[in-house]
Amino acid sequence: MIDKTSTVQDAIKNNVNAGDNIFIGGFGHLIPFYLSHELIRQKILDITICRSGADILFDQLIASEIVKKVIFGYVGNPTVGLSHSFSRAYKKKSIEIEEWTNQSIIMRLHAARMGVSFIPSKILQIGDKPSNIGHLKQVTCPYTDHKFSAIPALKPDIALIHAQCADKYGNIQMWGIDGDTIEGALASDKIIVSVEKIISNSKIKEAPEKTVIPSHRVSNIIELPWGAYPSYVSGFYSRDDDHYIEYDTTSRDEDKLSSYLKNWVHDARNIQEYKNLIGSTKIKELEEGLCGVKNED
Amino acid sequence: MKIDYREYSPNQRIAIIAASELVGYKSCFVGIGIPSDAACLAKLSVEPELNLIYESGAIGALPLSKSYSTGSPSIAHGADMITDSLSVFSDLQAGRIDVGLLSAAQIDKFGNLNSTVIGDYDDPKIRMVGSGGAHDIACLIPNLIILMPHDPRRFVDTVDFATSPGSGSDIKKIRDQLNLAEGPSILITDKAKFIMSDEGWLLHSILDSFTFAEATEGLPWSLKPTISGPIEIDPTIISALAQINY
Repeated sequence: MIDKTSTVQDAIKNNVNAGDNIFIGGFGHLIPFYLSHELIRQKILDITICRSGADILFDQLIASEIVKKVIFGYVGNPTVGLSHSFSRAYKKKSIEIEEWTNQSIIMRLHAARMGVSFIPSKILQIGDKPSNIGHLKQVTCPYTDHKFSAIPALKPDIALIHAQCADKYGNIQMWGIDGDTIEGALASDKIIVSVEKIISNSKIKEAPEKTVIPSHRVSNIIELPWGAYPSYVSGFYSRDDDHYIEYDTTSRDEDKLSSYLKNWVHDARNIQEYKNLIGSTKIKELEEGLCGVKNED
Repeated sequence: MKIDYREYSPNQRIAIIAASELVGYKSCFVGIGIPSDAACLAKLSVEPELNLIYESGAIGALPLSKSYSTGSPSIAHGADMITDSLSVFSDLQAGRIDVGLLSAAQIDKFGNLNSTVIGDYDDPKIRMVGSGGAHDIACLIPNLIILMPHDPRRFVDTVDFATSPGSGSDIKKIRDQLNLAEGPSILITDKAKFIMSDEGWLLHSILDSFTFAEATEGLPWSLKPTISGPIEIDPTIISALAQINY
């Protein structure tokens, strides 16, 4: 078996190209912040980013001017408010968008995962449709004559995701909220995974039902503890809601956002520096928070 | 004892009225915010059988602390089951989830909801978050209840963008042809309950402590005086409010 462990720098450099369509994992939970920030540090240009419900990581990638197109069902800062960088770029027309719904994005990924070019669905037949999906075709069921929208497959070039554990061969173990993370990863041609902890293959074999992606699909594994901060990782640390709330104020102002990105992205040259920015007090608080390692029932 | 509902915040009043509407249902598709508060309140009081289902894949959740994301720790912690979003949306499309609660930035007379843009789609005044799962729920859920704070700016004649389709005679015809669900049937504000008719929303009943003028102030639809008595609220709903500390 091949050892697929890598550094974050090499994993991105060797697998991601300018212009790639990149699925970004994480649904509130397990958002691959540190791994995806490497796209910004390496200035991988003209990328398309896609997922169903996206939060402030998409905002940061858009603000860094490396994104050409966003394919999404939702882009915002959940409960807190809008994605200000997304709104600014949309109004300036400096990004292209393809606007869907959460269900249709997930069905698009599922179609790609299944190797079919579309999936029929009842949605997206009424209401206002953005022009980008105005060409959506209808199909008639050959058995019932019912009409369905033909939801086209979405096959990303590469998926970036975060999970709890993996072995060095790339068997990925994940639990808690998945959302569309596994769907999006398995729809993609290549998969790069950052994990909280690399464990032995014999540990993997003790609970193979926890393995959600098998090693042969994975290109690289990187151990990046706290790499999903400020989102959370079940069994490790809770979500830093305050960080999301403060990000709303920061991202309204482009100057403030630039210094945020300098601190949290450009200057965080390794995961230890990222952890230093989080700080020991916050780390302790989040380990003791809901779903944190010190909050087991 | 007579309750003065003015003592509760607008969001609490919406949750109180909405919880009453959830009696008899077994499964509820919930989004974050007021919908989640209302479903939790119903589960803790008048409908203990209600299973809360979040699009992140959490089922049988009961978040008792503030949840910012549909995938938040408070949603995952204490859930009976965590599956993936595809499974939850598949159950939704198959008609296996009884009732859904939605809110939005704008609503119109026929229950069309807008969470996409204020202004023109290509050149908007405000670019918002987009559908998320709202369009999908509005097309598919067998029983749809809309929850809106009584803010006249958000009640319009026609929404700027119909993210989530409404109902009324014309839309209902198309829904029938496409085998979609009926669309929104109830609208709850912090002062009143409205029901959908072929001609759009009708005022159904008003929360005690509020007048007809208050319940309809600034709404762009012509509304006849209340057609039913005041909204009946089970006292256990009020007692359960304290358990939701947001």
